[in-house]
Amino acid sequence: MPDRAPLLRVEEVVKHFPAGLGATVKAVEHVSFEIYPGETVGLVGESGCGKSTLGRLVTQLLPVTSGNIFFEGVDLTKLRGEKLRQYRRQLQMIFQDPYSSLNPRMTVGDIVAEPLENFGLLRGRAKDARVQELLKIVGLNPYFNNRYPHEFSGGQRQRIGIARALALRPKLIVADEPISALDVSIQAQIINLMEDLQKEFQLTYLFIAHDLSVVRHISDRVMVMYLGKIVEVADSVEIYRNPRHPYTKALLSAIPIPDPEIQSKRRIVTLSGEISSPVNPPSGCRFHPRCPIAKVPTPCADQEPPLEEKARDHRAACHFSEKVPTAV
Amino acid sequence: MTAPVLQVKDLKTQFFTDDGVVQAVDGVSFDLYPGETLGIVGESGCGKSVTALSILRLIQEPGRIVAGQILFKGSDIVTMSGEEVREIRGKDIAMIFQDPLSSLNPVLKVGFQIEEAMEAHEKVPSKLALSRAVQLLKQVRIPAAESRVNDYPHQFSGGMRQRAMIAMGLANKPSILIADEPTTALDVTVQAQILELLRDLNQDLKTSIILITHNMGVVATLCTRVLVMYAGRIVEHGPVERIFKNPQHPYTWSLLQSIPRLDSDRHDRLLSIEGFPPDLIKPPSGCRFNPRCRFKIDRCLHDDPPLMDVGPEQEAACWVTMRTALSHNGDKRA
Repeated sequence: MPDRAPLLRVEEVVKHFPAGLGATVKAVEHVSFEIYPGETVGLVGESGCGKSTLGRLVTQLLPVTSGNIFFEGVDLTKLRGEKLRQYRRQLQMIFQDPYSSLNPRMTVGDIVAEPLENFGLLRGRAKDARVQELLKIVGLNPYFNNRYPHEFSGGQRQRIGIARALALRPKLIVADEPISALDVSIQAQIINLMEDLQKEFQLTYLFIAHDLSVVRHISDRVMVMYLGKIVEVADSVEIYRNPRHPYTKALLSAIPIPDPEIQSKRRIVTLSGEISSPVNPPSGCRFHPRCPIAKVPTPCADQEPPLEEKARDHRAACHFSEKVPTAV
Repeated sequence: MTAPVLQVKDLKTQFFTDDGVVQAVDGVSFDLYPGETLGIVGESGCGKSVTALSILRLIQEPGRIVAGQILFKGSDIVTMSGEEVREIRGKDIAMIFQDPLSSLNPVLKVGFQIEEAMEAHEKVPSKLALSRAVQLLKQVRIPAAESRVNDYPHQFSGGMRQRAMIAMGLANKPSILIADEPTTALDVTVQAQILELLRDLNQDLKTSIILITHNMGVVATLCTRVLVMYAGRIVEHGPVERIFKNPQHPYTWSLLQSIPRLDSDRHDRLLSIEGFPPDLIKPPSGCRFNPRCRFKIDRCLHDDPPLMDVGPEQEAACWVTMRTALSHNGDKRA
C-alpha cells in the first residue's frame, strides 16, 4: 500500500483533558498512523485506552492538544469555521448506541436528510428521492421515512445511522463500536452491510472496537492501543499469527473462541490487574506493571519503547518483542 | 447419575402489560446436577434472565410465574411462602449480576456488604464475620484483602467489584450460583480472569453454576452443558462439545456461523440471520423461529415442534434439524 498517498495521516497527535485539581487525563499521547484509500483499519483496545477519543480527533469532533491530522494532504487542525465544515463532509461517523445517536423527535427521513440540508445540497423532491435511495441502500423500506426511531429495532436504527453517514458521500467513515450494542444475530447483518457498502462506494473505514475477533474480520490492518498509545500495528492476519507486543498477545489469548475443544487447549495469558490511570500513566513502557515479560526497572520501567518496525509492515512498541510467544 | 440439585419443570413466566401478555418464558424444563456448569445462551429478550429470576422468585410486577415447578431439594420454590424463599435465596442459591456497580451499595463498605449477606441467614459474631469477609475476598483473589475489606465500591475497579459480588454470592456456601452475564460489562482481559475464577471455584467448592450469557465463547470456556433459548423456549440443549460441533437446531447453527472467530479465515463472509426476534405478545405460530429460518418446511409454519432426541443427551426442537437440512441443501458452510 505504501505507493499510494494516504487518505489520512495522523502525526504525533496528543489529547489531554483537564481532570480538576490541576490533574490531566492523558487520553492520547503522540499517536501517528496512516490510512490509505479503500482500506479498513481496525483500532482495538480496552475501555479507557483512548480509542474513541482518537476517533473523535480524526473527525475533528474534538480539537487536538497538539499534533496534526492531514486529510488528503490538508491539515485539518489548522482549519476553522466554514473551511473545516466543508472538509467534514468527507469524514463521517457511525456511533455505538443507535438509541442515543438518533433524535427521537425527528422522523427517519428528516434524520437522514439533515446532513443534506446542513450543506444545502438538495431540496424538495430531489432530497426526498435521495433519502429514499439511502434507506434502500442500507436495507430499509424506503417508505418508512415518515416513521420515528422508536418504531425500529436496534439493528434497524444502526442502519439509519449508517444511511445518515452515507448521505454526504464521504470518503472516510469512522465507526466507533458500531455493533457492540446489538444482538449477536444482528451483528453479522451490520458487518456484512458495512462490507458491501465499502465495495459499492469505495469507502475507507476506521473501525473502532474492543472485540478483536470482529476487528480482525473486517479490517485489513489492525492497530492495538493501550493507555493512550498505539503499541502494535500490523496486517490483520499477521497480528494474529505473529503478535509482537505482549499486550496484543494477552488480548488475543483472552478472547474466547466459540469452540470448547480449542478453548480447553488454549493457554490464556492472564494479565494481573487492570489498565492503569491515564492521569498518572506508568513510567517507561506504560504496559510494564501488567506485562508478563517486562524487565524492571531497566529498560521497561525507565525507557519508553518506540513504535518501530519489527518485520515488514509490522510495527510494535516493545523492548522484548522477539520474546513474545507466537503460538495462540 | 446423581440426582439433580435443581429441577425446572414446564416453567411459564408472563408479564401482564398494557399492550398484552408477554410470554417471556414459555414452557422451559431442565435439570441442574451437582457441581455442573450449565450455560443458558440466547439473545436479549429470549427469556434467559427471566428464567434465572424465576428460580429465585425475583420476578416483579407486572410479571408472574403462571405455571410450572421449580424443585430445589424436593420442594417447589414456586409454591413456597415468601419467608421460605428468603431462606433459600442467597443461602442455597445465590445470584450475581451483570453490572457490579449498580448491584453494590455505594455508601457501604464492601466488607460490610459481605457480612450483611452472611448475617441475613445466621447470627455471626462481628469479629468472625469480618475475618470471614476477608477470607472470601482472598478466595476471589482480591489483593491486600485485609485492607480492601474497608474500601467502598467506588475504590474498586470493575473487575474487583465483580469479584466482590462473587465473594458475596459465596458468603453462605450456596449449592447453586446463578451468574447473569457476569463478564459482559468487563474488558476481555478482565473477563478471562473472572472466568478462570469461576471455573476454579466450581472445581474447588463443587458449587453448581448456571451461567447466563449471549457470548458463545464464554460458554465454550466455562460450561459443560448448554441450553439454547429463543423466544421464551429452549430450542436445543446438550453437552457443550456436541452443541458446538454438531448443532441440530437451525438457530444454534446460524448463531455459531454468524460470529467472527479469531481463528477463522478473515474474509469468510458471515452468515447473517435475517429479521429480528419476535414480539412475545404475539409469537409466530408453529415454530417461533420459522420467520427467520432458512431451512423451514410447511410443517414449521403451523406445527410447534417439541424437543426431540437428536443425539446422545442432545435434544432440539426442530422438524428439519441440521443433519437433514445440510444434506438436502448441500450448503457449503456445513
